[in-house]
Amino acid sequence: MRYGPIIGAGALFSLACSWAALVMAPQLQLGDLSPAPIPNTPDFHPAARPGLAAQGAEVYRSLGCYQCHTRAVRQDQLLFGARLNGIGPKAINLEAAGSGKTNLVNLKLLIALAKARPDLGLAKVELPPTLAADTNAVAAFAQFTTHLTLLKHADHKAGIVRTNSATVNELAGKLPAEILAKVGPEEAERVVKLLSDSGAKAELVIYNLGPDIARGWGARRSVARDYLNDAPVLLGSVRVGPDLASIGTRAPEKFAAPWKFATSNTATELEHHLLVHLYNPRLLAPASTCPSASYLFDKVKPEVRYAGEPLVVAKESPPVFPKHNAHALVAYLLTQRNDVSLPEAPVPSVAKSATAKPAAPADTNAPSKP
Amino acid sequence: MTAAQPSSQNACATAPSVAEVEASCRLPVLFLAFSGAAWLLTGVVLALLASVQLYNPTFMEGCAWVTYGRLRPAAINALTYGFALQSAFALALWLIARLGRVELSAPLGLTIAAKFWNIAVTVGVFGILAGDATGFDLLEFPLYAALPLFASYACIAAWALVTLHRRTERELYVSLWFVLAALLWFPWILSTAQGLLLVWQVPGVVQAIVAGWFGNNLLQIVLIGFALAVLFYFVPKTVNRPLANPGLARAGFWLLLLIGGWCELAQLAPVPAWIPAVSGAANALVIVPVVALLVSLWQTAEGKIGETCKENATFRFMLGAWILLLGVTLRTAIFGGHFTQFTFFDTARTDIVVLGVFGLAALGALHHIVPRLTTGEDELPSEGLADLSFWAALLGVIAVGIGFTFAGVKQAAVGASTNDKFLEFAVTGTANHLKLVTVGYGALAVSALAFLANFAFAARRCCLNCCGGAR
Repeated sequence: MRYGPIIGAGALFSLACSWAALVMAPQLQLGDLSPAPIPNTPDFHPAARPGLAAQGAEVYRSLGCYQCHTRAVRQDQLLFGARLNGIGPKAINLEAAGSGKTNLVNLKLLIALAKARPDLGLAKVELPPTLAADTNAVAAFAQFTTHLTLLKHADHKAGIVRTNSATVNELAGKLPAEILAKVGPEEAERVVKLLSDSGAKAELVIYNLGPDIARGWGARRSVARDYLNDAPVLLGSVRVGPDLASIGTRAPEKFAAPWKFATSNTATELEHHLLVHLYNPRLLAPASTCPSASYLFDKVKPEVRYAGEPLVVAKESPPVFPKHNAHALVAYLLTQRNDVSLPEAPVPSVAKSATAKPAAPADTNAPSKP
Repeated sequence: MTAAQPSSQNACATAPSVAEVEASCRLPVLFLAFSGAAWLLTGVVLALLASVQLYNPTFMEGCAWVTYGRLRPAAINALTYGFALQSAFALALWLIARLGRVELSAPLGLTIAAKFWNIAVTVGVFGILAGDATGFDLLEFPLYAALPLFASYACIAAWALVTLHRRTERELYVSLWFVLAALLWFPWILSTAQGLLLVWQVPGVVQAIVAGWFGNNLLQIVLIGFALAVLFYFVPKTVNRPLANPGLARAGFWLLLLIGGWCELAQLAPVPAWIPAVSGAANALVIVPVVALLVSLWQTAEGKIGETCKENATFRFMLGAWILLLGVTLRTAIFGGHFTQFTFFDTARTDIVVLGVFGLAALGALHHIVPRLTTGEDELPSEGLADLSFWAALLGVIAVGIGFTFAGVKQAAVGASTNDKFLEFAVTGTANHLKLVTVGYGALAVSALAFLANFAFAARRCCLNCCGGAR
């Protein structure tokens, strides 16, 4: 090759290809992304940061926190499940009229549940004598018996042997109930339809799975939309320390060094915890290798009109006074959340009755493929 | 090439002698080489101090200027811009002048531009330490340092291209293909990255994609390109044979340019899934051109490797760079995917490319160029210091590479499992690997010192030769 311009032109062509693919194409794809409305609220995600948190983002960049902390939650899998929320209006009360008791049973739902969960048994439901005169109930029981026979026939054909230790009757007795967990979308949708057709209230639920989510570092994977208000975008590339994508909403027991809220004022406690971490991480986690940012604190009360609340870092040592930058950095950290459901990255809905812990089966109860 | 014969003969008649070519190179190349080696020393010392903080957090605690988050980017940028790119310019100018048989254009202008480059790097490093880092890997210099950097680069590259244009040896040798491609590549990626990240900021994660694209191109095309240019010049020269299989080298060159620019975005997390997928494929595909180029070099030296290794210090460095280039390409292709995401594994790639592949090639080349330009001999004054420089650099790079890689694999194993406690296994559990990294940086500092000492001896001997009679 004798001609420099040919080599130069070839090099520029190669570069133009990679530039078009990896600089221009992402900009065309993501350039007009906008914040998404949060369902049932007037707010948007990601929210614009308030002034103090915006200053904190600058402190985060300036101190190079992104050298050791990522802000991106990973997810390996998205699986689905079916949740039963109500047995529906078609249920029959098996108790005598006027006795004041209720024992609602949806016979169609029991059949649907038995179809959805071949691993569970189906206890027999008898027509109580008090309902013998009720023509609606008699017809329903007659239908139930027919369906039961058909089901047994189908079971026999498919070689399904049902246990009698656990039954679908018990499953329908405690709501909300996780009927299926961690299965593929078709399977979950089929079961939700089956349950809904029987008149029950059922919904499709999702499971975000992966070590990051299991660690409690976030509710879902981080997506491009989460970083719209960041400038610069500090994703981080090494996890020398824990991920910070959801540090503002993280439960205390999910921290690298777990702790507990002492009072009900959780927001203040989390802020205090983060300030102490900045002052000396080893007061909270003795094994931490995070460098102390003690230069963000005054040891003696500063000579200004309002010095701010002193920070008690340890019982035996005198309190210190966080500087403006320390408060800003903590305010920035508290804005880090990824619990907002987005169309491209949904967050699992929480079961309606907060007290009843969903009776989630051990690992997966996807029916074995015939 | 028979057609080239007449013009070659014409050119030879007007071509400057080797002594004239070397005289024109002396000032700018020696200045760039010396500053590059000085930045190598500065950079590895900063990196050493930073690496100690990874397992001993109370080390240099309580001062924002030397906290890990500032020291580490300062070190990496000092090494990339101060040492690697600056030495690359020295080597590029030398290769253009020698292979083109032409006197360097504007040696004084080049020296002044190089001076400004150094000032810009110094300002940038202090800017990072003061807290003005931009937050993008390998592009952390603040705008007030980045713009002068670009301006002085433009001057250096322009004069280099003018020199290339005025060459008397018209045939372009393989080394000059790489030099030319890298010289044109660098301003495009730098201006794209500076423009889209620092001036007109693109929204959201596009920034991370652009920064990753810039970082990869800087390492994969510009620095590895300069390293290959050096390898293709010095391997045939030291074994005293013509390049075997130039066709393979040409195919490797074009494929490297086409594929190399697509690599290393395989570990970006919150981006459209096609980007890591395409980039992961490119990571694997780039093995083809790299192996083609390395095979071409291997065939050139085959049978004389052991013998040349014993005789020639420069060849030893080239062999080290050859092995590391193969190693870093394979490790990224095989393990550089989802498993090692967010770990030190990728940190190791930057260090191996900058200090190992490019660093060894550049140090080896400078062990040949510096004595040519000072004393006029082929070897530096102290053979012992040259040996020390080689072994310390090689072992240092291997220690840094292995330390970061194994720490990365350990972090990856913890990251992939839910049961392992993060703090216990991923943070404190990697301390021993990271101590190896510190040792590696220490060895690299020794290597840089040995080279600088040898450089000083050569310069002193040169001065004695010139002015000795007057004393």
